[in-house]
This record gives sequence, C-alpha cells and structure tokens, in this order.
Amino acid sequence: MIFSSISFLSLFLPLLLSVYYLSPKKIRNIILLLFSLFFYYMGEKWYVLLLVFTCFVNYIAGLLMKKYNAKIVLTLGLIFNLGLLFYFKYTNFFLNTFINLFGFSKVTLNIILPLGISFFTFQNVSYLIDVYKKGVEPQKSFITYATYITLFPQLIAGPIVRYQDVEKELSSRSVTFTLFSEGVKRFIIGLSKKVLIADTIYQVYNTFLTSELSACSYLLIGICFTLQLYYDFSGYSDMAIGLGKMFGFQLKENFNYPLIASSITDFWRRWHISLSSFLKDYVYIPLGGNRKGTKRQIFNLLIVWSLTGLWHGADWNFILWGLYFFILLIFEKFFLKKYLKEGLIAHCYTFIFIILSFILFSIPDLKELSIFLKGCLGINVAFWNQEFFYYFLQSIPILSIALLGIGPWLKNYYQKLQKGKWKKGFYFGEIFFYLSLFLFVIASTVASSYHPFIYFRF
Amino acid sequence: MKDKIIVIAFLLIIFSLGILQFCIKDQELSKIERRRLTTMKDVYEDFPNNLENYLSDQIPFRNSFLKLNQIWNRSILRNKEHNNLYIQDDFLIEKLYPLNESSKNNFIKKINDITSKYLSGSNCFFALIPDKSFFLNDPISLKINHEKLMNDLEVNLEIPFINTKNTFTLTDYFKTDIHLKQEAYFKFLPLLQKSFHLEDLEVSYTEKNVSNFKGSSFYKAPYSSLEELTFYESDITKNAIVSHLEYQNNLIYEEMEEDTLDMYNIFLNGPSSLINITNPAATNEKELILFRDSFASSLAPLLLPFYKKITLIDLRYIKMDYVANLVDFQNKDVLFIYSPLIINNSSILK
Repeated sequence: MIFSSISFLSLFLPLLLSVYYLSPKKIRNIILLLFSLFFYYMGEKWYVLLLVFTCFVNYIAGLLMKKYNAKIVLTLGLIFNLGLLFYFKYTNFFLNTFINLFGFSKVTLNIILPLGISFFTFQNVSYLIDVYKKGVEPQKSFITYATYITLFPQLIAGPIVRYQDVEKELSSRSVTFTLFSEGVKRFIIGLSKKVLIADTIYQVYNTFLTSELSACSYLLIGICFTLQLYYDFSGYSDMAIGLGKMFGFQLKENFNYPLIASSITDFWRRWHISLSSFLKDYVYIPLGGNRKGTKRQIFNLLIVWSLTGLWHGADWNFILWGLYFFILLIFEKFFLKKYLKEGLIAHCYTFIFIILSFILFSIPDLKELSIFLKGCLGINVAFWNQEFFYYFLQSIPILSIALLGIGPWLKNYYQKLQKGKWKKGFYFGEIFFYLSLFLFVIASTVASSYHPFIYFRF
Repeated sequence: MKDKIIVIAFLLIIFSLGILQFCIKDQELSKIERRRLTTMKDVYEDFPNNLENYLSDQIPFRNSFLKLNQIWNRSILRNKEHNNLYIQDDFLIEKLYPLNESSKNNFIKKINDITSKYLSGSNCFFALIPDKSFFLNDPISLKINHEKLMNDLEVNLEIPFINTKNTFTLTDYFKTDIHLKQEAYFKFLPLLQKSFHLEDLEVSYTEKNVSNFKGSSFYKAPYSSLEELTFYESDITKNAIVSHLEYQNNLIYEEMEEDTLDMYNIFLNGPSSLINITNPAATNEKELILFRDSFASSLAPLLLPFYKKITLIDLRYIKMDYVANLVDFQNKDVLFIYSPLIINNSSILK
C-alpha cells in the first residue's frame, strides 16, 4: 500500500484514525503495530512474517546484551541483520559478479526483495549499536519495539528513524491540535509533491525518452529524472513526517532543499539526511573519521561512499555512483573548497554534477550511459527537433513549478506576504490552497495508473 | 481557526469517501474511459490485488474527479495534450504520431497478399480516409506525415490508389469523434463512381438528425458540446436486407440511446466482422466488396443504390482465410478503405 493510493486515503487512514483515537492510550501502540503490519501485508503479503521475525530477533538481542557478552550478541545481531539484507538484496549481484569473473553462464536466483528491507535493517542495526554503546536502554516491550520498527509512515521508504529519537514518544506521546494540523498540512504537501509534481515530471521524462531524441531532449531527460527523484523521495519523507505528527511522533527532517546546494559536500548535508548521518555515525566515525590522518580519512570516505552506492542498489552503476561522489567530495575537500562559496557558479556547478550523478544512477548499462552522455553533447543526434519543441512547450509549466519548488523562495515570499496588508486574503487563500491541492491529488490518483515510489526498491 | 477548517475538511473528505464508497452501488461501466470498471466481485476473486483498482474505479464522484484532473492538466499545467487527446480549432484530436513504418509496411504487404491471392479477377481500388489532424493548420502539433503515407501507399500497393487528399476538409469530421460525417461522403462518391464506372443515379434522401451526438472522444475532454449527427435515409436503405455474420440485425441505421457508449454505432450497428447488405431494388447485378474499418459504416449506405449487394469485411475481427470460404470475390468491385489509425496499428488485422 502506498500513501497516494485510494485504499490508503479512503480506507486505511480514516479507519486507523478512528480506531486509534477512540482507544485508550495504553493500547495505542498495539493498534499502530497491527495497522502497520496490515499496511506492509498489503504490499508484501507474507514477507510480513519476516518483518515480525527480524523485530523479534533484534528485540531479544537488545535484552540479551544486558545479560550476556554484549560484543558477541552485537556481532551475532549484525551478522543476522546484514546477512538478511545481503541475502535478499545482494545475492544475485555478487553471484553474477563471481560468475562473470570466471566465465560461467549467468544464474539468477528467484529472490524477491522485501519492501523497505534496507530501511528497517538499518533501524535494527542502529538500535543494537546504540544499546551496545549504552546510548539507550534495551526496550523491554516487544510490542513497543515492533511498533518502532514497523511504524507505517517510515516503514518502506524512510526516513531512517533512530530508536533514541522516538524512544520517549514510543512509551508516552500526546497529540495536540497544532501538531495534528501541522501533520495534515505536511501530509498534503508531501502528497502533492509526489502525485502532482513527481508523477507529472515522470510523464514528461517518459515522453522525451520515447520521442525522437535530440541533444536538448537528452539534457531535459537528465533534469527531469533529477527533479522527479527529488520530489518523489522528499514528498514521501514529507508524508512520513506529516503522518508521524498525526500520531504524535516527531520524525526528523530528511531533506533541506538539496538541489540548491552550493557544493556536493553541502548537497549531502541536505539530501537523505537520515542515511548520511547514519553512515557518518555508524561507519565513518567508528572507522576513525578524520582523526587518523589524511590517508586513513580518504580510505574511510571510500568505504562510506562505496556503501552509500551499494545501499542504493545491487548493481555496478550504483557503486560507480557512490565512487563518483567520493571523487567529487575528495576533490572539493582538498582543492575546490576555497573556490566554492555561495554564488551562482557554485550552485550551477553543484546542480550540473548532481544531474550527472543521477544520469549515472538511472542507467545501469555502461554502453547506454555512453550513448546518453554523447547525446547530451549532441554527438550523433540533432541539437533539437520538432518533437522536442512540441513536448518542451507543454512541459514548461510543470518544469517551472518544479524548479521554483527546489528552493525556499516561494515559502519565504509567502511568509513575507502573509505579514503584509493582504493578511485576510491569505487566511482564506491557505485554506483554499491545501484543500484544492488535496482534491487535485485524489483526482490525479483516480485518473493515473502510475504510482510507484522510486525509493521502494531500496 | 484556519487550521481547524483545513483539518476538518481533510477528515471530512477521507471519511466521507470511505463511507460512501461502500454505500453507493457499484458502477459497471465508465463511459469516459470506455471500459468495464472493477467491481466488488473482482475484489472477492483476487484480494488484495484488485482492492486498489476497485476503490479507484468505484470512488464516489469519480467522473467529477476525472474532470478535476483534466482541469489540473489542461488549465493549470497548460497541457495541450492529455491522454493522447488535444483540442485544436474546437476539434478533439486523438494524437496519431509518429508514423509506424513497420506497421505501414506490414499493412501494405497484407493488402498486396490479399489482392494477389484472392482478387486476381476483381476490379480493386484502395482509398485512404485522412486523419482529422491532416487538415489542421497548426505547425506545432505532432501528426503523422500524411503526404508521405499517401505516397508510400500509392507507390507500393499493387492496386490503384484513389487520392482523397483534396476531397475532405476539417469540418467534414465530427468535433468529438474521429469519424467523418456521413454527408462528407457525398463528396467522395464521384471519385468512386469514376473509378468503378458507376452510373449517375437520382436518389431521394431524407435527412434525419440526432441532436445529442457524443463522439468517442466526448467524455475524455471537459466542456465538450453535444453535436448533431445527420444520417441519410432512402427507400433503398429502408428496404435493404442486412445480415451480420455473428448476430441478427436488419437495420442500416439504428438510433442509439443517449447514454450509449459509442453513438457512431448508429451506422450498421457498430463493429461487425462480416456484413452482407442486399438491395432488393437494384437495377443491376453488381456487387461490391468493402475491406474496411469503422469509417466505411457510414459510407456503405450511400453506395447501396449502385449495387445489388455490398459485403463489408472488417479484418480486425475475422481472418482472411475464413472470409475466403464465405465470400466469392470473382468479378466483383473491391474497395479497400482504411484510415491511418489502422495502418499505424496494422498488427490488429488478422
């Protein structure tokens, strides 16, 4: 089930809200757990049992750490979690890499990747490490622990929520009207980003991809994919944060206008923040971070960025994607840093290299990638053609909306106007804005057959 | 207060959609999409896979939501084209682009195979009914290259080609349907008479009007207006004997209910694999074989005065091998009449 589906909006959410708020506080975690499991079952059927099993193993491991040798329990816990992730996500990739090396014929095992396994594995891992480091007390209630892992707003596409961030809310939380209304508004914004912008841009992207290609259309395909990925994923995070608020959880921000970053270093402080901070806290710093000299720091960064690539997908293009960022970050750290200050050139440099990264991200075949990059430079294709012109004219409004939305400009301008003499107009304008967005989302969902969230595959 | 209104309205929308969904009786058909909708029966058959389709298909105010979506696409995003349909000069145009070369070649091969295998002793011609977009005076819109298509057909078909390039105009087409109006074919008849050496006839027609005509594109665009469809009735059309291969229906024109999915089916009752129309008042023994798509349904009644029998064959629904067992082609007039839509999707021909 996905948030932009009619089954979620007209059945799951109203039913959960009714049951949740009509129940006594002490059974609300059970209700959230049951609904979250049903939410997962609707998409993944009996993999829900695997999800419960991983919750149970990690819950027990957390408790055992107090009684037995914590290091051994942690090691076993990590082997279990990462082993499962490896099995489901990377078996075919490593098997075929091995087979290719030795020239055997290709084998593909029929392993279906459970939705959100990368997200809930990392949450389980962070919990075990935090308990081991005595950053948090092990959770004594299985229901509470399972509620944390399976909490439906963040279950299948993040953000990666750390146990310590929601520990208090898991045992006791209250929802004020302000928090609830913030949640509703954030949810509507997230839905709109996903359904009205990301999905529409996907159509533009697809139209260009299937049209007679020219250099201009290649470039626009790169821009569209970047915008789509941003709106898709950040929209999902907004929905998760909004839904969290409706049920009393304050999930951390996952995006901070990453496409207007002034450097690649800055970009990774703003994009998928929960993953970056996870890898920083649980991989980079434990490896020694920048405390053991430059060579070791470069090696640590290499490990982190290889893992970042690998986390996003089990294919060589994802590893290359991670290494691409490793090279850019090293280059920035040691050479470019002093030149990259706030300014148009810095923003353009970053935006161009982000687009290039997502081209690499989206094309697994190196031959196709080479054709695409040549296409962008106008090699073997016309600079533009009638099809490009026709489709580009049609896509100007949605691209304008999407480009305006990558920065805080509209939000800031709106807040400035809100304080001015048009205060009353904005009062009703805001009501109209949110409700019309929500109705457009439902209309678009009813009319559209394209829904999948890209980040589900991770 | 502002936030209260937003929250209450949000809750009201999701709760009322959920409740009404199960209170309102399931709809079986969507006219806008021209398809069967998922019903509760389908959900029972395959739960949970069909649940989302069911809820999406049976959502209360579904058609209003679809219209709202069109407003988003057309008025806000300023999309000229939506669902492969665009509006130009008040006409709804189903986009036909690009020209599928392999489909076109397959089509040409198919026609040439039929003519060489079955029609060696017949008087054969081919005519192309241009797509509506051919007549648009719009340099930006994407449309197939009609000139090239006509030229390719003329050069590669082994039977003579009747050039219709200068016969029709945009106003000869319905605004909300892909088809030509029946009266437009009066301009086409002289070309056919010349090709098949048909004598001039005085036929007295009565114009019958259907004022609430909704073409196949009607429901796909918001704010479409009803059109007038005129059909031409004569004693010949009234007395003609019509026989369909698959079913019984003896009418040349059958007026449709207003909520009929496809009102163009007024002509010969819509799609049919093989139809024989006999004209008891014929003064000659001539017979015509029409290999055709839906465009010919409104042309055939106007050709009836010239022939004793017209056989309409739609190869989308019947195999040529099977037709050959049912129809005698010897010494007949044979007209292949197709629109670019079929040529561009020729794999649907059996």
